[in-house]
Parts: sequence; C-alpha cells; structure tokens
Amino acid sequence: MDTRDQFRTNVLTSGHRACAGCGEAMAARMVTDLIGPDAIYINATGCLQVFTTHNQQSAWQAPWMHSVFANSAAVASGVEAALRARGRSTPVVVQAGDGGTFDIGLQCLSGMIERGHDVLFVCYDNEAYMNTGVQRSSSTPHAVRTTTSPPGRLSEGKHHLKKDVISIIAAHHMPYAATATVAYFPDLKAKVEKAMSLKGPRFLQVLSPCPLGWDHDAALTVQISRLAVETGLFPLIEMEYGDVTGVMRLARQRPIEDYLHLQGRFKHLFGHQNDNGNVEIRHLQALADARIQRYGLLDAETEWTTASAAQTERHGRGGYSISAVKQEVSS
Amino acid sequence: MSNLSIEPGSTTAYHTGEWRQQRPVYRDKWPPCGQSCPASEDIQAYLALASNKEWEAAWRKITERNPLPGVTGRVCHHPCETSCNRTQLDTSINIHGVERFLGDLAHEKGWRHERFTEVSQPQKVAVVGAGPAGLSCAFQLARRGYPVTIFDAMSAPGGTLRSAIPDYRLPKSVLSGEIDAILALGIELRLDTRIGQELSEQSLQDDFDAVFLAIGALKPRSFSSIDKSDHSVMSGTDFLQKINRGKSLSLPKQVAVIGGGNTAIDVARCARRLGAQVTVVCSQDRPGSHHGHADAQMPALPQEAMHAEAEGVRILFRTGVRRLVRNGQHLSGVEISRVDQVHDRQGRFNPVLFEGTETFLSAGLVIFAIGQEVNKSGLENLMKDGELGVIIGGDAAGKPRFAATAIGSGYQSAMSIIAYLTGIPPVYENHQKTDVTYKDLHTQYYPLLPRQDELMTEDRLSDFTEIVKGFSQGETLCEASRCLSCGVCFDCDNCWHFCPDAAVIKKPNGYEIDYNYCKGCGICALECPSGHIDMQREVG
Repeated sequence: MDTRDQFRTNVLTSGHRACAGCGEAMAARMVTDLIGPDAIYINATGCLQVFTTHNQQSAWQAPWMHSVFANSAAVASGVEAALRARGRSTPVVVQAGDGGTFDIGLQCLSGMIERGHDVLFVCYDNEAYMNTGVQRSSSTPHAVRTTTSPPGRLSEGKHHLKKDVISIIAAHHMPYAATATVAYFPDLKAKVEKAMSLKGPRFLQVLSPCPLGWDHDAALTVQISRLAVETGLFPLIEMEYGDVTGVMRLARQRPIEDYLHLQGRFKHLFGHQNDNGNVEIRHLQALADARIQRYGLLDAETEWTTASAAQTERHGRGGYSISAVKQEVSS
Repeated sequence: MSNLSIEPGSTTAYHTGEWRQQRPVYRDKWPPCGQSCPASEDIQAYLALASNKEWEAAWRKITERNPLPGVTGRVCHHPCETSCNRTQLDTSINIHGVERFLGDLAHEKGWRHERFTEVSQPQKVAVVGAGPAGLSCAFQLARRGYPVTIFDAMSAPGGTLRSAIPDYRLPKSVLSGEIDAILALGIELRLDTRIGQELSEQSLQDDFDAVFLAIGALKPRSFSSIDKSDHSVMSGTDFLQKINRGKSLSLPKQVAVIGGGNTAIDVARCARRLGAQVTVVCSQDRPGSHHGHADAQMPALPQEAMHAEAEGVRILFRTGVRRLVRNGQHLSGVEISRVDQVHDRQGRFNPVLFEGTETFLSAGLVIFAIGQEVNKSGLENLMKDGELGVIIGGDAAGKPRFAATAIGSGYQSAMSIIAYLTGIPPVYENHQKTDVTYKDLHTQYYPLLPRQDELMTEDRLSDFTEIVKGFSQGETLCEASRCLSCGVCFDCDNCWHFCPDAAVIKKPNGYEIDYNYCKGCGICALECPSGHIDMQREVG
C-alpha cells in the first residue's frame, strides 16, 4: 500500500506506464481520488487498463476489475445487482475510454442506464483508440489526423463529426450526465461529488488530452484541455433527466486556432495556400460557435473565464478564495 | 530496467523516474517589488501574511528591514508598485496602502520591536543624525545587541521627515509613534547636540568604536547671481522647517516657488494652505513627457505634482528665473523666461534661457527650492576618505534622496558596521535568487481585480490635516490578496492536483517531488501560477 501522501489515498498510484503528461492518467487519478478507495472499479479495455496493470503489477489501490471492451457496463450491472442482493451499498464505478463508450460499449451502456443500475460511468475521452496506435473513433473530432484518417491529397483528416454522446446518454432520461475536463479541477470535483450523491445511473465525460495521439508537448496537457473549453469546442455542461441544468460560462471566446496550432493532429490544416485546410479551420470554428450558441456560453456575465480556476489557485489556503475576501469586504 | 517484476504486486516497484529527461525543481525567486525596494523589504512575504490576516507577523516582516512602515506607507515614492508584475495583468498592487495600514495598526495595538539577542555587545556605536537613515541603522544595531547613541542637532528626532515633510502628508503623531517604538529598544538619544559645537569630533571617535554619519543634506543650494538679502526671499527648507515647527506665517497674496523637486511641491502646497496664490517655476518638462530622458523631466513625484495642481497650484514648466524684480526695497516679482536646454554638455544642471521670451511674474515672496547640499562643517575630519570605523549614509551619501533609500542605507550601514566590528562579512541571501518576470507567471489563474486607491478628504485647503485616508482592514485584505506571489509558492495545490504520476507529495509545509516516479512531463512547471517551479535538464 502506498502511503506516501498524508492528504490523499492515491487510488491510482505511481509507477504506472502511461506516457509522460498523460491526460487520462491525470483525469483517472483525480476522479478515483475524489471517489476514494471504498468503491468497486470496473475498467473496460483501453489505455487506462493497459498502463495501470502491467506484468502482474497493479497501480490500483482499490477493488478493481477488468472487463472486455464491449461489456464494462454489463459487468458493472451484474456487480451492482449482486451487491444489492446482499444488502450492500458499495459504490460501483465504470471507467472506460471513448472507444469503450462511444463505439464498442455503447449498447451495454444504454442497457445499463435503461435498467436503472446505480452505477457511475466515467468516460475518459481522448478522442481516438490510443492504446492500439491512434485509430479514429466516433469521438474523434472533424479534420483530425489519425492513423486511419490520414490527411492527403483527397482528405483533410477525419471526414465525419464527433459523436454528441452526452446528448445520447441524457436522452435516456437519467439522473445525471455531465462533461468535465482536467484543467478545471474544482469543476470536476463538484461534478464527481454531485454524481456520487445521487442514486441511479450517472455519466461523466472527462476530456483527457493525449500527448502521443494528439501530438502535443507533454507539458501542455492542462493548457490544451483548458483551451478546448475556452474556444467553445468542448462545453462544460450538466444534464439532468434530459435537460441542461448547468453550464460553465465563458468570459470571452478564444479563436479556434489557439487550440489547433498546439497539436500535431491538426498540423496539416495550417500552411501557405492550404485552401482546404482553411476551410476546415473555419468549419471547426463554426462548430465551436454553434456549441457556444446552443448552450448559451456567452449569454450571461461571468466573473472571469476561469473563475473556478481561481478557486484552485487559493485552494491550498483552506478553500480561501477571492470571492470570500469580497464578501468580507462588503460585510 | 531490471526491476520489471513478474511477481504480483504494486506498480510502485517500478521506478518510472528512469524515463525522465528533465526534472522539476521548487525554487524561490526574488520578485521585482522586493528587488526595487530601496529599503529591501520582503514585500511579497508581508503581503502573503497580510492576505492571511496575520497582521502582526506581516508587520514584523516589514520591520526586519524598515522600522518606519507608517512613514514610508505615506511618503515613499514606491518603486515597488512601478515594477510590480501585476501592472501587466491589470493594475499594480497598492503596496504602500498595505504598508501604511500595518504601520498604523502596530501603533494602535502597541506592538513592540523585539531584540534578536539579550546579550549586550561590548562595542559602542554613535549615530549622528536622527533622520530615517540614522534611526534605521540604530534600530538594526540595537536589535543585535549593540549599545547605540544617536546625536541630533535638532530638538526633536526625525530629521527631514520632521522638518521637511508637511503634516498633510505625514502627521507628526505617526512619526513620533514609530520613533518611540525604535527608541524603546534601549537607544540613547541626545538632542540639541551638534558635532563640532556641543561635542567634538575627537570625543566622538574616542568614546565610540564606530560612527555612522547620517547628517542629511540640509544646506540649501542657491543661485549665486541672484541677490537674496531680503526678507521677501527664503529657501524652501527654511520655509518648511518654520511650518513644521508650528510657526504661524503670514504670506503675501502671491508666492513664487522656484524649483521642480519634491521640496518645491511641498512648499507650494503648504503656501496654498496658508491662502496664497502659488506659482511654481520649473525648468524641466511635465513628468512623463520625455521617455528615456529622466533628467529633462520635473524631478518631483508625478503623483505629488498632480495633487498640487488639483489643489490650485500653478506649475510653469520649462521656465527659468532671470532676475528678481524690485521696486525700491519692495519685491514685486520675478522675471521669467522660457528654457532652451536644461543641462549643459557636461550634464550639469545649467538651464539656458531664450532671449525675448521674458515675462513678469508678480510675487510678494519668492521661495527657492533648487536642491540641497551636505553641510560638512564641524565634521571635516570624520568625513575624510578612508577614515576607519566611520560610515556615511542616507542623504549625505548621495542621490537619490528618498526616505526609503535612507532607511535602506541605514540597514546596509548597520551590516557594514557589524562586519567592521566583528570581522565577518555580511550575507545578502536574496541576491543569489533569480528574477521572476511577467512571462514566467501563468496568469490565467489570477482573476482580474482592479487596484483600490485610498480616498482623499473633501476639503484639503483649509488646514494641514492629512489628506489621504488609510485603508480599512477589508480593503487591506483584498489588496494584499491581489499579490501574484511572483516566484514564491502559495500552496495552490496545482502541481499536486495535476501530476499524472502522483509524484508530487503534499506535506504539511509545501510539496515534495518523488523523483522515483516523476517522468518529467513539465505540467507542474507550466501550470504553476507563480513561476516557482523550474525544469532542469537531467545530466547523463
């Protein structure tokens, strides 16, 4: 048992084989530490399963089991039903990548939600099949270079659009579905805590940049996930019983190029006289604009773009934040 | 890679740190505020303490270097605020407001300075001059156990702070309060004692092991060409001394002040408060109009000049005095002209006037405030070069002549005196630290919050009461917590939250990196708001 840190369990501990700067390892460490070791974790096949359990070594310091790609939600349903039959209330959490959620595991997930199992399903969305060598998934955004959607004379990367999985999940009329990302830890924390306070099927989609598949500098993982939010490409929303009940508003929208040019998977769009590339950049900008409009991300005043990041900033001083100071001044 | 285990167990048996090409290192930097402070206060440290409501600890942090925070919070030209990295994000921190609040709070609560040691050193030190430099030096020496005696020719301590700064900027009660707290360390103060008159240089050298000369620069400079043998002409320092001694002066209706320094502005604002119409004749241009040519600008602080103009003082820029105009014995005014160049080829102050631009400025009193010099009379032997055990500091040591510079000079001199007396060279720990610039910060973590400025009293001209109101506790707290904490950790947890490898370990006091597992991705360094983490290449 790893007890190096007196302030945290490290449910996902050190020594795992993820690449340097892995967004999924970061996201999984955050989520599992917020839930704690007293839960049963079901892990679909994917990067997270591969890099945390290697040569009979496990990075997990909590009950953890591996299912095949397709049936993690079905396995979790069984575990939850068994616990219920024995009168136990241990939380059951599924962790899967976007392949195991958007594509291969979708029908089991749909069934699990439809039957109303008391399970939290967390999807670490890194927008491609990373552990098998960066193949496109239905989560891969438009115009992205992957090994199965190579850009070339006739193509500007993936032709199709990213699947709007959160709407599909929310359409099941289920208690809670939300999107989050690693850059906004206080927001992620609030969403995990809210999900854990509810009964029934719950779903979290956590955007987790992948330095290898997205081809960016390992140090930029958090910055890129922040830019995905600030450009409007990945809105942070909460849905309850099919309705949008919360969005994280933006103070201002960043241009899409800020996000694209940091990543090698969009590199083919840039360059002189690349007319097709320019069309795709405008297309991605239009997709971001449409999402901002759909969720009203710019419709109301916000204290600051990353107001929740400000809480992270002062977090270490016992949750002391600027807004708390303001209250004291006014009182 | 021998530890690739085939035994079942934890991945912690495998040290991913072997993959690393660069390593993160926590390192304190030296923020620009502290670097630019002439008194070398650790500004970031006391703002952090203040933002945590540790008021007394914050005050003790300031007084490590500056025993007069209530004074400098009011009169300092605050270069810390000019250099503040936050200027590039929104507006600089109002550092002097926090400093003043802490100084006033200390006086209100009656906090006392503490000595570092109860042991009394055998060597005695004499400090000549009870101004900011002398007080600062005596304070540092007394805290370290040296018996100190301060000599001053005036009848009250404070030096220029008392004689030249008017009450509306610095109330005498604030000055006296802080001086009393310094003297309470057991410093002997001998007033009305001028070296060379009441006490000889020789007895000073005989009775003391070291002498600190902080005699200030009090001799007013004068225009040799202009005849001043008249009661309608006086020097700025004399005028301010009279006012600060509480003498009632009756001024003529129109007063001309010659000069563009802080003394000239103080004189003008005082004369304005006594009901006169005041015109300042300044050879240089308006502050801010000559970028890169500081000498061609009015040397007074822009803020002070702005206040003066708001109070109805007329300032004539690029204007020089040709002669005094008299009607018999009676002064009727001065003849002024436009100035061509302010400095000659050798860089000396020597304004050249344009012919044919003469105009008459009517004035019943002309006050010259064109700079001061060091009056060495009575101290010629002590002020010789290479005199052992004698250190010169404060305004007497040269320019710039600011209160904070004098306080810093007092600290440095105290360290030099101790080094001289003990033979151990002084250590300046901050000087080994690296700078931290705006681009080293991750500013997305800081919400935009504008600076707060102190309020001014409504009616400024009726008397000499202080015109700038102090901060409340809430305002101080808000202002202190705006500090970006450049280069210094403030326990935000970012590195701890974001490490994908759980290689950052949180400790009760800060964080530690477990290099067995750190893969060197650099996320912690990039996401550190204050630039406290450096990435270093691994050798080998």
